[in-house]
Amino acid sequence: MSPESTDFLYPFIEGDETDADSLLADLARSATAKWAQSQDLRTETLARVAAQLDQVASAMAERFAAGGRLFAFGNGGSATDADGVAQLYTAPPWGGAVSARSLVEDQAVLTALANDIGFDNVFSRQLIAHGRPTDVAMGFSTSGNSDNLLVAFGQARKQGMLTVGLAGIDGGRMAVDASVQYCLVVRSQSVHRVQEAQAALTSALWARVQQALGAAAA
Amino acid sequence: MTSPMVSTSGATTTTGGDADGNAGAGAAGAGARIEAVADDLARASLALARRFSLGGTMWCASPAWPFHAHHVAVEFVHPVIVGKRALAAVTVPAGADLVTTLRASVRPGDMVVVLADHDDATVTDALRRGPAWGTETVWIGAGRTRPPAGSADHVIWLDTDDALEASEQFVRVYHLLWELTHVCFEHSGLLKAEQLCTDDVCITCSDEGRLAEVVTVEGDEAVVRAEGKQERIDVSLIDPPGPGDLVLVHAGFAIGAS
Repeated sequence: MSPESTDFLYPFIEGDETDADSLLADLARSATAKWAQSQDLRTETLARVAAQLDQVASAMAERFAAGGRLFAFGNGGSATDADGVAQLYTAPPWGGAVSARSLVEDQAVLTALANDIGFDNVFSRQLIAHGRPTDVAMGFSTSGNSDNLLVAFGQARKQGMLTVGLAGIDGGRMAVDASVQYCLVVRSQSVHRVQEAQAALTSALWARVQQALGAAAA
Repeated sequence: MTSPMVSTSGATTTTGGDADGNAGAGAAGAGARIEAVADDLARASLALARRFSLGGTMWCASPAWPFHAHHVAVEFVHPVIVGKRALAAVTVPAGADLVTTLRASVRPGDMVVVLADHDDATVTDALRRGPAWGTETVWIGAGRTRPPAGSADHVIWLDTDDALEASEQFVRVYHLLWELTHVCFEHSGLLKAEQLCTDDVCITCSDEGRLAEVVTVEGDEAVVRAEGKQERIDVSLIDPPGPGDLVLVHAGFAIGAS
């Protein structure tokens, strides 16, 4: 998106503008419209990938039932998604807790790896240390092109882990890389709308994993 | 619906999942909820734009959901849209004491943005000190109960008790907060210092009691922090306060505790 692409919505007004009311009304209208876009994208995405979500949830539940753990990772806002996933799985609002960890949470490990080896390896090296064949590697990227995610997915597959990617735009390299067994793609060009729909995917996947674990335990 | 589920609030709800395992309340209803918060979002965005324009730093915190606080900060520091200004935003680390950290860190004109439940005692204590520290405060949350009136300068409250739905919608809220803040930067006339004080009765300008935080006490005198600036006042009219206490100050005298 170019910086000017939404300018037509907000006509430039001179620096001596003093009445904030019309701006506030414009802002509220803009917020309402974008909220609706986000809601529509959420609905479309959840419907389009429903079958895929079932498959991923079932595969993840098998891993958890076998003692597997979830390792989540991403960069920037997607790093916070990884943190959020770790919190959701270990301290859920309902259902059972399972072992999950974010690979961005330990600054000492992250900076040691970035400084000594390079940023492309910050997640893969942690998987080498921790990963077992029963574990799950889940990576978040809005572009689907983050180098350190693709390196981590490749490493995870070498170790027999289940690999799940969440990507946006057109899925990028994650959508076509064989090391990403399941790639859930949000089809939007807006990074913000992609992250919002990925949050919905994360919740929906977690709920399905809980259902699958409940069914396995019954 | 397959089975009722228990939300974090302890109430039984059927919105936690459906037959397809979809988390949250689904498409219905959620789109309408924005109507209730769109105006609050707009006002908060304009306030943040004004503070950023005048050099303020935004402090983000979420004791219960630290990942949300980090997301807000990274959004403002490193914009997803190339060409947009990098803004001064910081996350208060989840393990740090919120009041202690902010007290030492904030400067007059800074912003404090929190995501928290309505009864989060730490957040309540931090935000009530806003007038003393000179910070503009924004409280984002969800649930049937809102924080008490006056808890923050801006309250953006989502009408859902479903923890998963709330978490999803928080992402939308702070994305929009960022987007609208940047729209405001195109309206430089509305970002001047004098725009910060347009109410009929402004606590900063009027002769009312001002909220101050006690720094040190020596007998009948105390050094306090009001609107972020230190001043010496007389505390002989009230019970002896201690450091960190909040008092109301009028004409150089503490006239009550708060």
